[in-house]
Amino acid sequence: MRWNVIVGVANIGLLGLAAPLGAHHAFSAEFDIEKPLTIEGKLVKWDMINPHSWFHIEVTAEDGTVVPWEVEGGSPNELIRNGVTKNTVEIGIMLTIEGYRAKDGTEKAVGRNFVLADGARLFLGGSGQRAGGNGR
Amino acid sequence: MRYQRKVVATVSVAVISGLLAVPIAMAQETEYLPLRTAEGAPDFNGIWQAINTAHWDIEPHGASKGTVPDLGALDAMPGGLGVVEGGEIPYQPEALARRNENFANRLYRDPAIKCYLPGVPRATYMPYPFQIIQSEAHVMILHQFAGAVRTVYMTDHTEAPADSWMGWSNGRWDGDTLIIETDGFNGMTWFDRAGNFHSGGLRVVERISARSAETLNYEVTLEDPTVFTRPWTIRMPLYRRVEPDAELMEFRCVEFVEDLIYGHLRKLPER
Repeated sequence: MRWNVIVGVANIGLLGLAAPLGAHHAFSAEFDIEKPLTIEGKLVKWDMINPHSWFHIEVTAEDGTVVPWEVEGGSPNELIRNGVTKNTVEIGIMLTIEGYRAKDGTEKAVGRNFVLADGARLFLGGSGQRAGGNGR
Repeated sequence: MRYQRKVVATVSVAVISGLLAVPIAMAQETEYLPLRTAEGAPDFNGIWQAINTAHWDIEPHGASKGTVPDLGALDAMPGGLGVVEGGEIPYQPEALARRNENFANRLYRDPAIKCYLPGVPRATYMPYPFQIIQSEAHVMILHQFAGAVRTVYMTDHTEAPADSWMGWSNGRWDGDTLIIETDGFNGMTWFDRAGNFHSGGLRVVERISARSAETLNYEVTLEDPTVFTRPWTIRMPLYRRVEPDAELMEFRCVEFVEDLIYGHLRKLPER
């Protein structure tokens, strides 16, 4: 199934009231640098939009339950500068993302980088990369 | 006397033949040779604008009532003969139904009302000027409406890295015709105010050539296999804005639609 990739005009209000309304650079207001994590799951949807892209991953626990996660990435320009285009990841693939957990305890994180099959990191720009450095 | 009559007759025949010859020459398409840039390409630099009712409805249409009663005659749609070759857009049956729904609800559904970027080719024939700035590597098309910008890559052709409102354009010269191929659309734009639409799979091929010193020929082929049954073409002249002080004015419409989009979030009553 062809996936829908949307680039919108930068406007936080259009993401609806559920969107984080914190200041753009306030990583620490939303995410916890002390809670790094690695998420591995199936990519079911991703929004290549401003101000942040969002990756929707379904993580299957050992007991078989499927938990949906939302992972924030950089803007389309930041992704493209890091070599991530709309064709880089396809819906349905298994994806590994390193990042930091949201402070509100929900299944949300900010992504710093993908981990590719050969172990290489593909960075996502945004506050996850700025706060987390290059992971080495 | 006889000699004078012969002269008059000869001169009359010559004059009448000359007069008859002029309209015939005008009816033929004379090949216009455009001025050239320093690189030798036809020079399309300048400010241009379309003059037709395509921005209302690209299909042929009569005059009809508008959607805002308080605007009366000024919001009424003027009639136009359309710019679609053959008259009708070849919609698939379900798409045609959706187009008709779009039309009925155009006051709520037209994305341009909210200052979203108008897409291609709608931006070309909206009733606002646009400016072409040419270099060897890029042709820039700057639109007054919403400050929309198109970068046409002339030498570095790549695939669209992301989908967008105005698409990703790669251009080349075919003789004296500029051919621009655009895709990578986000599927959220319309072709006009009448609900004519497309999907993110749209591919647009524009052919621009000089028609005279102050006019261009603009031909666009549109292809979108999930919406239309075949590719189709629109065609129109574009006119140069010749006044010496011609310039694009700023038109930041996002501010003008804040109340429309966010007014319902006001805590205090409307000012």
